[in-house]
Amino acid sequence: MHTRTRLTAAAFVATSALLLAGCTGGGSGEPVDVTAEPEYSGTLSILSKFAGDPLEPYFEDLAAEYTKKHPDVKFDLIQETDQSIKDKTKTLTASGALPDIYFSWTGDWAENFVGGGLAADLSKVIGPDTEWGKTFGEASLDAFKYDGKYYGVPLYNNGKFMGYNKAIFDEVGIPVPTTFQEMIDSCSPIRNAGYEPIAFGNKDGWPGLHYLQQLFAYNVPADVLKADFVPGTATLDHPGYEKSLKEFKTLVDQCTKSGDGTNGVLYTTAQEAFSAEKAAMYYQEVLEFDTVTAEGNAITADEFGVFKLPVPSDPAGDPDAIEGAPEGYLVNAKSPRAALAVDFMKFVTSKENAAVLASPPYGQPSTVIGAVTNENSSAAVYEGISQVNEASQIVIWLDTVTVPDVAAAWLAGGEAIIGGSSTPEKVLESVRTASDSAR
Amino acid sequence: MQTARNKAWSFTWAIPALALLGAFVYLPLVQNFGFSMVEWDIYSGSQEFIGLENYRKLVDDPIFWSALGNNLLYSVISVVFQVFGALVLAALIESIRSDRWRRALRAIYFVPSAISLTVAGLLFYFIYEPNLGLINFLLDVIGLEGWAQPWLGQESTAMLGIIAMSQWQGFGYSTLLFAVAIQRIPSELHEAASIDGVGPGRRFFMVTMPLVREMTGLMMIVTISGAFQVFNEVMVMTSGGPNNSTQVLVTWLYRSGFVSNDFGYAAAIAMVIFLVTLVIGLVQLWITHKRKVEW
Repeated sequence: MHTRTRLTAAAFVATSALLLAGCTGGGSGEPVDVTAEPEYSGTLSILSKFAGDPLEPYFEDLAAEYTKKHPDVKFDLIQETDQSIKDKTKTLTASGALPDIYFSWTGDWAENFVGGGLAADLSKVIGPDTEWGKTFGEASLDAFKYDGKYYGVPLYNNGKFMGYNKAIFDEVGIPVPTTFQEMIDSCSPIRNAGYEPIAFGNKDGWPGLHYLQQLFAYNVPADVLKADFVPGTATLDHPGYEKSLKEFKTLVDQCTKSGDGTNGVLYTTAQEAFSAEKAAMYYQEVLEFDTVTAEGNAITADEFGVFKLPVPSDPAGDPDAIEGAPEGYLVNAKSPRAALAVDFMKFVTSKENAAVLASPPYGQPSTVIGAVTNENSSAAVYEGISQVNEASQIVIWLDTVTVPDVAAAWLAGGEAIIGGSSTPEKVLESVRTASDSAR
Repeated sequence: MQTARNKAWSFTWAIPALALLGAFVYLPLVQNFGFSMVEWDIYSGSQEFIGLENYRKLVDDPIFWSALGNNLLYSVISVVFQVFGALVLAALIESIRSDRWRRALRAIYFVPSAISLTVAGLLFYFIYEPNLGLINFLLDVIGLEGWAQPWLGQESTAMLGIIAMSQWQGFGYSTLLFAVAIQRIPSELHEAASIDGVGPGRRFFMVTMPLVREMTGLMMIVTISGAFQVFNEVMVMTSGGPNNSTQVLVTWLYRSGFVSNDFGYAAAIAMVIFLVTLVIGLVQLWITHKRKVEW
């Protein structure tokens, strides 16, 4: 038993040790030439965030088509979900095994790879003045711009909206709310009619952060908010934060079925409640619009409407801001197939393939100019992405825009606010402490 | 001379095993200790030696202490249920005269142990779910809807909810092992005690318990070291939330490494887990060895 105990514990420690032992010295070596003529042979490895239905076939089909054009090119496709890709990417990074092409969010997430020398500088091929770069909206390219250089291939744009069931709103006799207070006031009649006003599951913590970030954008001036994302310049003392936390708590208590127990509900359970017409509203990303109205669900595309989270009274921030960000792919700066990787991503973002991506069942609003149209996209996706494009500013997700320790403090704070175990003042104090430690 | 050569020859057979053990167990242990003294950026690959700073940071980290407390709570409850509770249940089952009933009960208690922890965690996640879960539904049916709780969604009940699932899952395995140990006790000892007029309760304390002491010691080691390595069930059911209330040492290690990118700190937590389980194992082995009973 002695041996067994030691072995068990040692094996555990060994796992982390072996993982770390695999690290390679990032940032060293000659930069890859992404402008070179690609050599159409070998295996191209890709880490995508397209696992599961309905997204999984997209990259599989593209890889198969590309292989048809270039028979000597094979693919090693690793497809992960929104949740699992975070761990997978870090495991591959720590073990020096990043694929040739890998998914990335914008903000601090991508900046880590750029800073570590793990993302190839794509400026010469995707900069706004290049042939390929001109096919994208400039704001999408800028989302992956660091120190004046362009590192990412933005694949689709995204934004957060309140989806609502038009039939339930009609039945209850309430209009689409135009202010935050109107939305809160609508919850009581919806509940009395037998529906959950707003479906919400915060088991993973980040859904709560999405509400908070949009409220912060409304209640905190844009320049203050931007400075507060960076520990070196953060003060986090604007009263808009406290106001936002209180408004979020009001929404949870008055409009959700589980109230202070929402931390025990899955995000997908909430989505299913909305899809099954048991809930009148559900705060969701554009990427999810076509999923909730997919065939087999009770709510139809005609019954589905979207509106921006209504602005609270006396907003000190930007009432026209929308929370969201493009998501895209980076090319491994150490990849011997970097030129081939660039060629494949050009193929992925061709207007034809971008239009397929924007259409049902995928419903991922491509960043390629002209790919999202009234004809090929669902009405909700078209409306949502049009609003994102017209927004005065896009505010990146709170869990990826700032450093991990500060994001973790916001995450724990959001859960504590929902459960009622902390106050807005205490939450802000813990976030300030995390931010100070991260300097 | 011949004997010494034989001994040397026989030692060579152990070399591959020793090499593997060294390469995959002891070398990484030493390496991990080294990693616990660096600040490591996985993106740039840069390492900076910071001595015992990560260990000092542990002392000041309230979530580390809360996680350690959760592991201790896990250990205590697991010892009560999976060691002493399982021993009592095994003794009761083995005292049943009907072979058929005895076998049936063993199987019934063992079935949950055949389910993987991840599956059991998911199953219980849905049992605890505040809106659709079985527990709140049953409380509603029997008129105790006021007792319904968001079991995993609130800080006061989440950890206990996870521990309860773990007891359900592990109880049958411990019971089965104790049943085997009890079966090994010569029946004459129980018969002699009965002839002397000793009742079932005293027979349990005077005969059964002393004669399964080694199994009890072994179960204590397995249970306590297991309680300090809990991971799957917490990740599946709460991911350490809400508000870090269900963090245990391994989930905090995971979060520090894979979320906060602080792999040096994570290595320091790994060393603490290793040392805690090693010390517990050594102490218990020493106690069990000192009180060895033979018949």
